[in-house]
Amino acid sequence: MELGRIHLVEIQTQKIILETLTKKAAARCDGCLFYQKMSPMDKQYRIALTSLLGAAVFAFWMWLYPQAPHYQEQNQLFLFTWDYLGRRLVLPGGLADYISEFLVQLFYIRWAGALVMAALAVLLQVATWRASGEKRSLYAVSFIPSLLLLIYMGDMDVLVSYPVAIIMATMLCPLFVKAGWHRLWLFPVGWWMVGPVIMIPALLSVIKGHKWEDILALVWLFAGAYAQYRLLAAQYPLRDAFFGLNYYRLVEILPAMQVVIPVVTLLCILICGSGMDFRHPALVNGAVAAVLFAGTWFAVPLTFNKDAQETLAYDWLIRNQRYAEVIKRAEKYQPHNPVSACSVNMCLFMEGQLTNRFAEFYQCGIQGLVQPSVRDNLSDCTSQEILWMMGMPNITLQYAFDLQESIQNGRKSGRFTARIAECNIVNGWYDRASRYLDILSHSMFYRKWALERKAMIQNEALVSKDPVYAYIRSVRFKDDFITRYEGLDLMMAILYNQNKNNFMAAEYYSVWQQLKKMEGAE
Amino acid sequence: MKKLFPLIAAVLLAACSGSTTFVEELPDIYPDYIGVTIPAGIAPLNFNLPEEYDRVFVRVTGSKGGQLSVKGRWASFPLKKWHALTAQNAGGFLSFTVLGRKDGQWTQWRDFILYVSDTPLEDYGITYRKIAPGYTTYSLIGLYQRDLHSFREDPIIESTLTPGQCMNCHTPNATDPSQFLFHLRGKHGATLIQKDGVREWVTTKTDSTLGNVAYCYWHPDGNWFAGSINPVRQCFWTGDQRTIEVFDLASDLVIMDVRDYSVIADPRLTTKEYLESSPAFTPDGKTLYFCRSKAYNVPAEVEKVKYNLMKVSFDATTGELGEPETVIPASEENASISFPRPSYDGRWLMYNKADFGVFPISHKEADLWLMDMESGESRPLDEVNSPVSESFHNWSSNSRWFLFASRRYDGLYVQVFLSSIDEDGHCTKPFVLPQKNPRKYYHGTPYSFNVPDFTKEKVQFDTRGVYEAVFSDERIQATVKQ
Repeated sequence: MELGRIHLVEIQTQKIILETLTKKAAARCDGCLFYQKMSPMDKQYRIALTSLLGAAVFAFWMWLYPQAPHYQEQNQLFLFTWDYLGRRLVLPGGLADYISEFLVQLFYIRWAGALVMAALAVLLQVATWRASGEKRSLYAVSFIPSLLLLIYMGDMDVLVSYPVAIIMATMLCPLFVKAGWHRLWLFPVGWWMVGPVIMIPALLSVIKGHKWEDILALVWLFAGAYAQYRLLAAQYPLRDAFFGLNYYRLVEILPAMQVVIPVVTLLCILICGSGMDFRHPALVNGAVAAVLFAGTWFAVPLTFNKDAQETLAYDWLIRNQRYAEVIKRAEKYQPHNPVSACSVNMCLFMEGQLTNRFAEFYQCGIQGLVQPSVRDNLSDCTSQEILWMMGMPNITLQYAFDLQESIQNGRKSGRFTARIAECNIVNGWYDRASRYLDILSHSMFYRKWALERKAMIQNEALVSKDPVYAYIRSVRFKDDFITRYEGLDLMMAILYNQNKNNFMAAEYYSVWQQLKKMEGAE
Repeated sequence: MKKLFPLIAAVLLAACSGSTTFVEELPDIYPDYIGVTIPAGIAPLNFNLPEEYDRVFVRVTGSKGGQLSVKGRWASFPLKKWHALTAQNAGGFLSFTVLGRKDGQWTQWRDFILYVSDTPLEDYGITYRKIAPGYTTYSLIGLYQRDLHSFREDPIIESTLTPGQCMNCHTPNATDPSQFLFHLRGKHGATLIQKDGVREWVTTKTDSTLGNVAYCYWHPDGNWFAGSINPVRQCFWTGDQRTIEVFDLASDLVIMDVRDYSVIADPRLTTKEYLESSPAFTPDGKTLYFCRSKAYNVPAEVEKVKYNLMKVSFDATTGELGEPETVIPASEENASISFPRPSYDGRWLMYNKADFGVFPISHKEADLWLMDMESGESRPLDEVNSPVSESFHNWSSNSRWFLFASRRYDGLYVQVFLSSIDEDGHCTKPFVLPQKNPRKYYHGTPYSFNVPDFTKEKVQFDTRGVYEAVFSDERIQATVKQ
């Protein structure tokens, strides 16, 4: 009897506990009713939409603009050394920068570049969605930051550090919101890791906190950031430190989008997390998604400079020795700039069509044949290839060096460093070549090439037997004299007279004269 | 523990010697510190063995006592013990026993000696510009100071702070960091002049002069500096012996009064027929040395440009110049002189001599020469010269040490070397600026060291406000002195 009563009490207690738990769960799920309401918008539906984003971004960089990731790779040289890591970590945003550069080196392989860009887009979308908390809705809105980034990345000088930093910052949102007083150390550490986009989780935590100490934490963030800046980054303008040191390649420029995207990301997190309820959530999400994708479809061509991208594409194809494809593209559309003229003319030569067909394409005088030295990190790419193949290693060296030093954020380039090493090898300056080869040997994709060359320069006979270096040595100038761009045609004539196998010099000389005449006639 | 140290070292040496091969040759160490002379208290002269040696053991024994042993991947000496050992052996020498391990086998080479001078090097350190060596464009450059007694290097100013503006070298007044200047080139170019912490940004170009002053030298009283105005250009060679040639399209010399920023543009130093460059005042301030060449059509006739060493008297109270006179007619010997630098005690004048031009850094044949200011006799500094370019040089504040830039390691990258000079003008074998891990540093750095100079104390330069000052374009406009 007694036992039966105890049993009854236990059952009643369990009932009460169960009821309480059910009520709590129900209360907690109040905001989650949309899950039940929008049954089509289930996990699979979200996965499908996210996958669509990934696939679209992958296709975009893989087939539409493969040259853009290539350009990113060409303007940095990631090294697997502690010094390299140290140089990145001493600056605010350095960890994001380091991770980004690690990823960008993979852009050497076309599909890997597209895959990384797609992964970044997906990660940002998922991070935005997760950052919006438990009462979240309007899944489609979480795509906005990724799509904005896609549009922004049409500017080829936006560094991948920027999306990486935003992703990291967005991922930190849940932690910051729950961190309480731990934000005192999380804020400065976060700022140092990802740079000023740390404002996304910082502001989110303040907005969600509604307490006086949240404002204090924000003040602390600014004070800590300023102290760190003075101690460790005082050789940068304060403006740059507070708007991002590693987000954009060009100095003296602060693109508005660099500020807009974090703000929009924060707004998206707040909108998704506001728990807005809709009668037909699937319909609303579908409509929002459709508008967003359509908007992106129209916005991308507006931000992607067609001529710049086409010029980049020529360079990428030339680097991969796909000369015929350049001609095919130029037959359909050719940008009217000297770099494009240079590239198309070079490809015409490589396909044996220069003298016959150059007049069919855009020409801009002799500078469309070989560019004079231009102080930027792209214009002379093709010209240095031409000068190298023609047998002018010293001018190639100058062009390659200046191309590399024109990378405005001070990064080096695997492609240009390799060419500088080659010019030194041809000149027999093996000590200098060795220095560049040693640097390249710490990279992922240039390592094998560098080690082979390093072994080669230990033995002069091997260098002399190498088909490329032996050829360049055989066609190069025998005499030492000062060069002048205006006299490049005479130098071509000298090269051809020295070695009649130097068809390139002969053909370029001939076209140079014709272009000069055409210029004179105009 | 201190007492145990020699014992441990001896045990280690004995352990290494277990299967050690002794060779009579000197070790192939990098950098070559064998037989060099160093000042007491200099940063440790760490060195590397060839890369195939994975371990090195070094025992250093002082001629006047003291011992130090280290073991590792390279010879890296602890700072305090190194300082104590060099201080104890000032005027004596240090003997180095070196063992290296390759493929598990130890080799011991013949011991080598390094001399410790009894002449102190009292200066805090040196300043220099770091720049990628080569051509016409530079992404990151900066002015730095390096503590000579440790490995500490601090930036004075880096180009990241003034994006898009190239910078010329830091010029202190006779190693005194309380007064210095440097010139920023570019759209927002200016000459920064700092005295006792007060900064002023000056446009030194006037209506009557070619441009802004670039290469400067302070008058000892601190009220004047002389500067050359020279639009610099580069051109390139086709052969495999040299690549770049740097030359001036024109070049004039002016003297600026920093009390009112007025410029003396004397017609005798601003001629079109001649190129004037490389000014330097004597320590008494009464004479200005400079270099002068007949102007030619450059770059076509660049090899004809040969500078003579000249001097002109200068009255610092009135700013009046005397009649220029030739000191060394180098052009008659088919040579060209650049960068005369009188020692601060007035005893010597060091300069560069090359086949032509005024930029010895790109001239393989460029060497350092020393002129006795009393007798006027000159001689090449064979003790310090190498088969490749020796270029910019400067004196320590006590004039018993000097530094110079040289490309001797690989023919391209420039390093700073230091050497001492005695009362008779004999110089010691120079040593390259010590680094913590020299091979890693010198082989890996993308930078050359430009225009090095000593600095008595640490340079104090607050970067706050620099960016705003540069980009505001608010400048003090120099005027022509009437």
